[in-house]
Amino acid sequence: MSDVAKPKNPEDDWKIWLVVNPATWLMPWLFAVLVIAIAVHWVVFAVGLGWHA
Amino acid sequence: MAEQSLSGLTEQQAKEFHEQFKVTYTAFVGLAALAHLFVIAANPWW
Repeated sequence: MSDVAKPKNPEDDWKIWLVVNPATWLMPWLFAVLVIAIAVHWVVFAVGLGWHA
Repeated sequence: MAEQSLSGLTEQQAKEFHEQFKVTYTAFVGLAALAHLFVIAANPWW
């Protein structure tokens, strides 16, 4: 396993799509980002940092 | 059976998708940064 070439980023970033198929995973990822964003907003409002903090 | 990637995408498809992904992701980060600047301007949280 040690002779696997180490990626050089960001030039090799695109290779992620040789492993992860966006046709399958793009939408689940975007929904996960949405859930995280809602969770963060929920906490921020819950701790009282809402509109009129 | 030619050399196939784990995802099934060819190198050309992966590079093509990545170009669009970078554009959209940059726009997302830009908008998020802008939103945070508005909040900081209106109501800093520190």
